Amino acid sequence: MSAFVVILTKDLRLELRSGTSTIAMVALAMLVLVVLVFALGPAVARGPEAAAAALWIALVFAGMLGASRALMAESENGCLRALLISPADRAVLYAAKLAAAAIFMIVALGAGAIFTVLFFNLEFSGALPRMAPILILGVIGFAALATLLSAISGRARGGELLLPLLVVPMFVPALVAGVRASAAALSGAPLGAARDWIAILVAFDVLFVAAGYLLFEHVIGEE
Amino acid sequence: MSKRLGNILGAATLVLITVSLWMIFAWVPTEAEEGIVQRIFYFHVPCAWVAFAAFAIVAVAGVFFLWLGGQIWDDLGYAAAEIGMLFCTLMLITGSLWAKPIWGTWWTWDSRLTTSFVLWLLYGGYLMMRGMLEESEQVARFAAVVGIVAALDVPVVIVSVRLWRTIHPAVLVTRQGGHGLQDPRMIVTLLVSIAAFTLMLAWLLTLRLAVLRARTRLGAIARAVAIAEFRRGQSV
Amino acid sequence: MAAAAVETIALGKSYRLTPVLLEVDLRVDAGRAAVIIGGNGAGKSTLLAILAGLSAPTAGVAMVLRQDSRRLDSAARRRIGMLEHRSFLYPNLTAAENLEFYGALYGVADPRGVALGWLRRVGLANFAGERVRKFSRGMEQRLAAARAMLAAPDLLLLDEPFAALDSDGAAIMADLIRGELARGCAIVASAHGALAIEGVALEQYQISRGRVVPYLEKSGPSRARRLRSLLGRQSQ
Repeated sequence: MSAFVVILTKDLRLELRSGTSTIAMVALAMLVLVVLVFALGPAVARGPEAAAAALWIALVFAGMLGASRALMAESENGCLRALLISPADRAVLYAAKLAAAAIFMIVALGAGAIFTVLFFNLEFSGALPRMAPILILGVIGFAALATLLSAISGRARGGELLLPLLVVPMFVPALVAGVRASAAALSGAPLGAARDWIAILVAFDVLFVAAGYLLFEHVIGEE
Repeated sequence: MSKRLGNILGAATLVLITVSLWMIFAWVPTEAEEGIVQRIFYFHVPCAWVAFAAFAIVAVAGVFFLWLGGQIWDDLGYAAAEIGMLFCTLMLITGSLWAKPIWGTWWTWDSRLTTSFVLWLLYGGYLMMRGMLEESEQVARFAAVVGIVAALDVPVVIVSVRLWRTIHPAVLVTRQGGHGLQDPRMIVTLLVSIAAFTLMLAWLLTLRLAVLRARTRLGAIARAVAIAEFRRGQSV
Repeated sequence: MAAAAVETIALGKSYRLTPVLLEVDLRVDAGRAAVIIGGNGAGKSTLLAILAGLSAPTAGVAMVLRQDSRRLDSAARRRIGMLEHRSFLYPNLTAAENLEFYGALYGVADPRGVALGWLRRVGLANFAGERVRKFSRGMEQRLAAARAMLAAPDLLLLDEPFAALDSDGAAIMADLIRGELARGCAIVASAHGALAIEGVALEQYQISRGRVVPYLEKSGPSRARRLRSLLGRQSQ
């Protein structure tokens, strides 16, 4: 079995057992939505535009939480060092952590999407299947950035601030594209209408997964 | 050597800036549509150019640092980031000063300003990261990675923001770069100004780099002393 | 002459301004065991980290399994096992799952079978399905030892392997060490004081002030240290 599969199944198994990350992300996504509804008021907090924005805000906040935890899972008992000593390539470790973070985020945001449709008075029919690929693309891009950068922020004092500080500006293009595409999907338009935005999301993902894959070894080593 | 280079660059910068200022304030004709305010354009565009160029330097220095490993690349990246941040801030300020009389508002999310603002945030993140982390080989590698990833981000930002803004055309008029500069004197002024600012970038880089390299050299000496004392068995 | 499993040449390591290792020349052949003896902060763990490829030397070179320690490829890392005070075990996985994970990661042919075999060998067969978070410290250490050795390494790096082991645990560890050496594995271990393992000729070195020199009992560390005598027999 390739190292990627071995590490990923280990992370999935651990998450299934404790579930802390995913549950925390679902909770955070829900809280973000609730805050937005109460802050915007029911007159504004309705319809596809507001809903798309709310869901992607939830993605960013929940993602911040989830992505840093993917690497934190290795901090007990020095397991990260064991992984670094092992024959597994650093890049493969990155891919596995990225995949794990993305999977947990997608699950959490799936729940978030359901809440969004409910809170923002949207139609369920067809909205969620259309949203799914857009959310998945967004999650992959976010996880690609956050997994790479959390290797840095995990080590710093006050590192919790560092991760959002670095990730959020870098995520702007995907955020912009994702919200636009999601708004189109939620308002019933077919995905083809959002073709340009989806193209940006795809380019974003390809670019940053590749960058992370190549650069991870430089950020994960020891002194 | 670098001191001489620094002095030459400094002198050249001074000369060209003086010429440029004269051109901007005395020589170039006032633009018909926007009036005297338009002269900010001759500061704003070079600032933008320098900000983006410095950002590219940060990324390229990062690549060389990861590839070749010399501390000078890390120093260059850090220096370029600091200076780039300066010019990025100036770019935003001049942009704002320009926007107010033309559009009646201090800030607007047109595609160029928005991209500039994201660039400013990226620089800010890089500098805050370096400020928060203690200097070490590892942190230098992190910084190189951040610089590279941020630079990769910039083209995507530009494309996405441009697309973002074109769907709301009613809000404002997009500024074009060499937008109908009628008089050839305007083009000359712009080019001279860009050249002057570029020289200033190079000069400031040599200054800042000299400081950082001196610090690196000092660190190397301190390390050598520490090792020598360690070797002799005295406490460090 | 067969190449050594470990050979360091003028190996040095300094962290920024703190030198730790200085001109270490060490050679360990296959089937031999070297023990590096020193106090806290003497550099034992640093040396082992370099040999594991985790940390790069700042001077000299460490050849591990005939490769530069800074550039160990996947095949070489497959043949290295490490044991230190942290267990490298996932608390929420069972003993068997932990071993299977590492077995699969190290390309072992039958991870489940090998895992169960090792659990038997360290006396934890009855706890195969228990989560590690429920283990006592002694059990965790035995499992950690199994983890380090299950991929049949050619080089074992043991950071204070006998620290905090009770006599049963120590007996098991000695047995494991004998077994690995018989297989032709090379061992580099660190310890606070001199070790003696029945049936094993240990090459003892002392690390002090950054250098590694042969350990002479008479010139041992000035502070009184217990001489750990190790049990190869069942009863004392």
